[in-house]
Amino acid sequence: MTDPVPDTRLRLTLLGGYLGSGKTTWLRHQLHVGAFGPRVHVIVNEAAEVPVDDALLSGASGMTLLAGGCCCCTGRAALIDALRALCDQRSRLSADAPRLDRVVLETSGLADPGSIVAAIQSDPVLVHHIVVETTIVAVDALHALAQLATEPLGRRQIGAADHLVLTKADAAGPADLARLRATLGLLNGHATVSASVLGAEVALPPLPPGTLPADLPPLGPDDVRGPIQPTQVHIPDGLDWASFAVWLSALLHARGEDLVRVKGVVRTPAGRLLLQTVRKVVQSPEILPDQGDARSDNVIVFIGRGYRPEDISRSMQRFLDLPLPLPV
Amino acid sequence: MCNACGNPAAPGHWTDAGTTTPGDRLRARFHRAAVLRNVLRPYGLTAHDDGSVPGIQLSTLSGAVTMVDTLEDLWQEAERLAGRKIDPLDPRYLND
Repeated sequence: MTDPVPDTRLRLTLLGGYLGSGKTTWLRHQLHVGAFGPRVHVIVNEAAEVPVDDALLSGASGMTLLAGGCCCCTGRAALIDALRALCDQRSRLSADAPRLDRVVLETSGLADPGSIVAAIQSDPVLVHHIVVETTIVAVDALHALAQLATEPLGRRQIGAADHLVLTKADAAGPADLARLRATLGLLNGHATVSASVLGAEVALPPLPPGTLPADLPPLGPDDVRGPIQPTQVHIPDGLDWASFAVWLSALLHARGEDLVRVKGVVRTPAGRLLLQTVRKVVQSPEILPDQGDARSDNVIVFIGRGYRPEDISRSMQRFLDLPLPLPV
Repeated sequence: MCNACGNPAAPGHWTDAGTTTPGDRLRARFHRAAVLRNVLRPYGLTAHDDGSVPGIQLSTLSGAVTMVDTLEDLWQEAERLAGRKIDPLDPRYLND
């Protein structure tokens, strides 16, 4: 077999979080310490007509401001245009030249990260050039619990995150902070959590055992389907990738609204494939290098609700053991 | 992308991941069609992919044919043609 072609697509990091949750402060510090590498472009989206945040960011090699419309809905065309322009500039340089590695998109406080990923995946140009790598969501340690109690959007943002940053961690008491962390664990058990003060990372104490999450009242029809929970599914060795893909696509078609996220590494004859989806959108899987931590291979995490956790692996088993006795 | 018809609009399908040569891709398409035929038979549907026509041809046993580009479209069309939901977590499918 020929060596897999290196993936030279542009990496995109989404930075979300509710209004005033400290996204820009965190991002400014991360850029200052170079956490995103030297060649990073920042796109800042302001839902309001008047931009205020852009004056604060100066550590990036380039910056685009999208004002007047949230880029997950009304400002989507502007976002696509900005990303296309970046890809165009980058494609004019040779792959060996020092060119842009990463784009950080700071969404407005009203954006739903899931629909931004969907917009990029459905664009025939961007899908060739951009791979959405992580979704980071800032959570205000002081006010998040109150927001989560009343705002469905806040809960959706938490659910879409790979990584949660508790901002203003010094402003909340240890008991409140523990309660918030337990609540976040309930909403998104898969995301890693860190804390920061004015953007600089601070250590989180271990979660005291027995901390109870805050009581979140159901908000509308979305929440009567129970809490979002992660389910780990072990993939059998020697998996038939085509059968698995057909099964997963059928599952996402039927349950895509309930499955917030599917993520994992699958071993196939072609190599280790990193599989990730957001709602119904599957990103084209990346081939990972063979080195690295192989312990988490062949485990896929399904994050969602509205089904019994054990049904997922049962359904997969049934599908992979074709031919099947099916309902008439 | 074809200049006349604009197909395919997106680079391959995510299910093609890991296929690097044209031969691999063709094999993967044939194999996927075989898997689909197995899955769709109980719903009174069949799938065909001849490797040259882009997309997958989905047909009912009575002869209605539709062409789909991706598996996402395929399930949508399959539900339309079969007249019922196709859900892998359906209790009836799981034999509960």
